[in-house]
Amino acid sequence: MSEDRPPDAFRRLSAELDKARARDGVEPFAGGGDSGGQQQAMGIGFRIGIEFVVAIVVATGLGWAIDRVLGTRPFGIIILFFLGVAAGMLSVYRAITGQGAAVGFRRPPGK
Amino acid sequence: MALELHPLEQFKIEPLIPIHIGGLDVSYTNAALFMTVAVLLITALLVLGTRRGALVPSRWQSVAEMSYEFVADMVETNAGHGAEPYFPFVFTLFMFVLFANFLGLIPYSYTVTSQIIVTFALAAAVFIGVTIIGLVKHGAHFSRLFVPEGVPIILLLLLVPIELLSYCIRPFTLSIRLFANMLAGHTMLAIFGGFAASVGLLAIFPVALDVAIFALEVLVAALQAYVFAILTCLYLRDALHLH
Repeated sequence: MSEDRPPDAFRRLSAELDKARARDGVEPFAGGGDSGGQQQAMGIGFRIGIEFVVAIVVATGLGWAIDRVLGTRPFGIIILFFLGVAAGMLSVYRAITGQGAAVGFRRPPGK
Repeated sequence: MALELHPLEQFKIEPLIPIHIGGLDVSYTNAALFMTVAVLLITALLVLGTRRGALVPSRWQSVAEMSYEFVADMVETNAGHGAEPYFPFVFTLFMFVLFANFLGLIPYSYTVTSQIIVTFALAAAVFIGVTIIGLVKHGAHFSRLFVPEGVPIILLLLLVPIELLSYCIRPFTLSIRLFANMLAGHTMLAIFGGFAASVGLLAIFPVALDVAIFALEVLVAALQAYVFAILTCLYLRDALHLH
């Protein structure tokens, strides 16, 4: 995110807790940091397989429906099939490059 | 001895209290029963857990606080700043899916999330909600989500439909992922259970496999709830922070 974040409630609370812990001689809480990244990676792994297949199936189904309604057989199904393949590849690509499920191109974070 | 296997029978919806209004069948089914159980359990956990509000939390309070913090952290890191108002929704969604998944793992219970209509209803609510939030926050500007920056006009003719399509596919991927995972896992458990019943003494092997699959299913139940919630956060971020 490019804009400066105002110090929000969570961070403030965390800072206050750390201060209180330091005062009472308790170790600051350090857990949770690393496991978050790992969980995220796992979630992405489980996600991308279905992403690709569903994109094609839904797009082709949509093409079929358009053909039925508008009587444009077979062009709707052909065009939407290829668009579906493209959309599926795009979402897999975005998922593995860490852009999440984002629609639309965006600058990589930190630029 | 041929034993008949019915691995899909566990997903059958049976009306418990038949209710018909007009021509509509709105019976209270076994699926509805387990949704009710999930909601009651979540409410009980959170209300009873936080009743005391002790500084040194009891076990229940600890669980309630951990689930709250887990989702709060998830919303903050994935949906970005400004997503705090939507935390209750994501938390509700996460807890409901999590409890429905876990309840389904108890023998003789019913897995609500193995019905695509349930997961699709949840996903459609997310999709419609996020789209409305985006439109309200950004108005017509929201369509910029589908237009990549600095691309020649000719390419836009190709890219905009692709972007639009990949946006509209979201409720489908979101619902099918959860539904397929639960359906596949529970079918597998039932199939190996059926094997065990039909092979006599050799049953030790399918049972051992069932134990292993069950462990995996516990992981999948938690992970799918997490994935469902985190994707909701990512969609929210798209709607809140256009680039």
